[in-house]
Amino acid sequence: MPIEKSDLLQGTLDLLILKIVALGPVHGYGISQRIRQISKEVLQVQQGSLYPALHRLEKRGWLEAEWGQSSNGREAKFYKLSAKGRKQLASEESNWNRLAGAVAQILQTAD
Amino acid sequence: MAWWKFLLPKRASGRQLDSELRFHIEELTEANLAAGMSPEEARRRAMLEFGGPEQIKEELRDVHRVPILETTLKNLKWTLRLLRKSPSFSVVVILTLALGIGANSAVFSAIDAVLLRPLPFPDGDQLMKFAQYNTKAHNSQPFIAPLRVEDWNRMNSTFQAIAGYYAENASEISGPLPEKLTQAIVTPRFLKVLGISPVLGRDFSSQEEHFGGPQAVLISDRFWRRRFAADPNVIGKRIVLSGFRSSYLIVGVLPASFRFPDNDVDLWMAGPPDAPYAQSRESTWYRVIGRLKPGVGLEQARANLDAVQSQLGKQYPKTDADLVVKIQSLKETIVGGARKSLWLLFGSVSLLLLIACVNIVALLLARAAHRQHEISVRFSLGASRTVLIAQLLTETFLLASIGATLGLFVASGASHVFRSLAADLPRLEEIHLDWRIVIYSLVCSAVVTLLCGLLPALRSTRQGISGSLAQNNRTQVSSRTPLQWLLVGIQVGLAVTLLSGAALLLRSFQALGRVSPGFEPAGILTFRISGSYGETADWEALTQRINGTIEELRSVPGVEAAAASATLPGVPTNYPTELRFVEGAQDPRHKMVAESRFITPDYFATMQIPLLAGKVCSEPHFRAVPNRLSPTGQFLEPVSINVVVNRSFADAFLAGSTVLGRHVQVLENPFIKPDQAGEISGVVGDAREEGVNHPPSPTVYWCFGAPGGPDAVYFVRTRTAPMSLAKTVREKIRAIEPARSVFDISPLQDHIDEAFAENRLRTVLLTFFAVTAVCLACVGLYGTLSYSVNVRRREVGLRLALGALRAQIVKQFLLQGLGVSFLGCVAGSVLAAAFARLLSGMVYGVSPTDVVTLSGVIFLVLVVAGIASLVPAIRAARVDPMQVLREE
Repeated sequence: MPIEKSDLLQGTLDLLILKIVALGPVHGYGISQRIRQISKEVLQVQQGSLYPALHRLEKRGWLEAEWGQSSNGREAKFYKLSAKGRKQLASEESNWNRLAGAVAQILQTAD
Repeated sequence: MAWWKFLLPKRASGRQLDSELRFHIEELTEANLAAGMSPEEARRRAMLEFGGPEQIKEELRDVHRVPILETTLKNLKWTLRLLRKSPSFSVVVILTLALGIGANSAVFSAIDAVLLRPLPFPDGDQLMKFAQYNTKAHNSQPFIAPLRVEDWNRMNSTFQAIAGYYAENASEISGPLPEKLTQAIVTPRFLKVLGISPVLGRDFSSQEEHFGGPQAVLISDRFWRRRFAADPNVIGKRIVLSGFRSSYLIVGVLPASFRFPDNDVDLWMAGPPDAPYAQSRESTWYRVIGRLKPGVGLEQARANLDAVQSQLGKQYPKTDADLVVKIQSLKETIVGGARKSLWLLFGSVSLLLLIACVNIVALLLARAAHRQHEISVRFSLGASRTVLIAQLLTETFLLASIGATLGLFVASGASHVFRSLAADLPRLEEIHLDWRIVIYSLVCSAVVTLLCGLLPALRSTRQGISGSLAQNNRTQVSSRTPLQWLLVGIQVGLAVTLLSGAALLLRSFQALGRVSPGFEPAGILTFRISGSYGETADWEALTQRINGTIEELRSVPGVEAAAASATLPGVPTNYPTELRFVEGAQDPRHKMVAESRFITPDYFATMQIPLLAGKVCSEPHFRAVPNRLSPTGQFLEPVSINVVVNRSFADAFLAGSTVLGRHVQVLENPFIKPDQAGEISGVVGDAREEGVNHPPSPTVYWCFGAPGGPDAVYFVRTRTAPMSLAKTVREKIRAIEPARSVFDISPLQDHIDEAFAENRLRTVLLTFFAVTAVCLACVGLYGTLSYSVNVRRREVGLRLALGALRAQIVKQFLLQGLGVSFLGCVAGSVLAAAFARLLSGMVYGVSPTDVVTLSGVIFLVLVVAGIASLVPAIRAARVDPMQVLREE
């Protein structure tokens, strides 16, 4: 069953977006597709959360945006990671891993 | 992207949002089509999956919206709450700024009114003042012959018009008592040059400007209200002037703001250029002003006037060949003298504001340390650094604005202060509070906000969330104080700079008071008696009238001596004249230049200037010379003139030779002709005639009869206080000269004090600023040391518990305070020495880099700093170790 927006831990969406964008310039549609594909349809991001998150990250200077041609020749807004965003991604990733590790540890030990 | 777009806030335009979202929907539709749906179905499903695009767009706009108004209001609300919570902090900051910004705006209001604004005439910057400079005699003459004014006006191509004027006093005798008036005699075009027209009536007609035409006057608004109770039907009435013994038709009333050439001018009358008595190119009558044509520069006008004058030189080689025309902006001639003093005051009051700011920075830093916890909490709750800095700056700005508003009250009193300290400051009546000053104060508070607020705001938000909530105040030792000590040092340094400037001015003031002027100003009453230049046609009669008046004055009970002179001794006036001796060869390379003074023979006895050799001069004889301009066909001129020289003159030009009996003769002087040589009859002691701040120059006193023409200054030495005789003197003059009025009656000492009013103004104000600066610096020192003591209480307690002596603790803190103050003093002395040049020309009897003054200032500041440090140091030593350790 897909996990909806409300179930995503706060801040997780930002981390996912940063990670996807780190792979190369990509538009909003591409991001939502990739999250769905990579998570094997487990995570489905609502457009209503995706776009505000993208614009927020752009405003903070973690993402940079540029208009360009999509693969089928349409005008699309492409996002890519800034140097600041790369740093942010690294720190959020390590935070997440620590948190996940800690949660896993508790789940295992408490069994 | 163009570089300038970075300067604009990034906005998500609606079109861009649309196309970004539309792309997504189109891609979804495409995918659905690929999955085999019909086009309508594909589109419907895509829209369904996407959700409401309008709602998303609204959310996106929220991301980009900068809620300026909401944020500011919220910040203000926060700030007010904080200010209420710490009232003493707020009051200290607000009062400091009220004084700092207020004093600054006050001085600025004077600078604005006096120096920055154009003169109160339309296009006042086009107005120029003229003088003629004699290249042979090297003297500048502001009084120009009427013919030459007309020539300049006719022949130039760079001025709209050139006009002349001079002011003299007159007696109006149509009322029960003669009333002294100030009248200006003006050439045609006078009002045109100044760009003024009458508010009532009209300017002179061309008949009225011709000799023998109808006699007309324009009157001032002041005279109109005083004498005619602002009667709108005043045009057509007549006044009678004693000097000319004829009645004048009032043709116009000039605006209330128009007070030229003098503040107290009452009426203007036309001086006809075609009058027979105005036809000499050697007469010295008019001060001359001109209005430049639009777009004409000063240099262009100078070149044009040079050409005009050299043409006149060819036409009239005898009178005009050696002359060149000098022009200067009229404003400069009026306010130029006050410029240096005003900027000096502005500089010092800005230093004061800087000290106030530094003080507030220190206070804010200390407070920020207390608020570290609050700031950390807000960081951890997700506030960004920008938001926090904006909040902290809003706090400072609110304080600065309240301070600036209160400061406006200080500034509104400025004109009163300037009026009471320096009544002769030019354009004084134009100093007042207006919107320019309000805006200036606002700008001041914005600058102050950035100066004071930015550093504390940046510092206190620097560590961000990493300086975690766990930080314990008790483990914190004085980590934050080096910067605060630097600030204290800066304050002390700036205060020392100001105080040494003030001390130098004070010492000059003192030195000026101690100086022995060579005459005795105390006990002298001075006044003038109205006269007219028409009287100069019969110099002998004029001399007899003045001497007769002096004779009568001497008979008044309580009067010891009486005399007259052209000038007031001790009040700066220069009248350098080039002379040569009649007997003996003259060294042509050595020019002999001496001050000229015109006096009556009793002058020396009245002023108590000692006679060193010979005898005082006696009045001249007169000879009749034919003169077609005079009604009698002749002119009575003084001959066989006596002069008295001062000791400096004898030492400088006649050392080792006979002094008495030598004849001096004047070169190139409009008042004394070369053939009117003066015989030296005596030598008197040196007196500081040209100002008490000026060492006596070689001086020749001329007994020329009628000193200063009709407008002599009378001196009466009284047995009692000078002003107690004022009424008696007035009555005496009325008895002997019923048609003349007495004016300007005041003690000589008042005139001398008045002449140095600007000196007093800058000394008093600079001293006030400097004392305030020292107080502020001490408050800063006290505050910082108290803070440091507070932070280090635990350390002190521990040391006391381990056996440290209380005296050691006191000494340690005291030395810390004194050490910083001393470094501040050193820096301040360097600054003071660097600024000393600014004071040159303002100090008297003391060098601008006087070591004694500077050491005195440093000593004083260190003593005050010691007292300010002692209180917190003693408080530190009173720490109870048991209590502090229990607090752990």
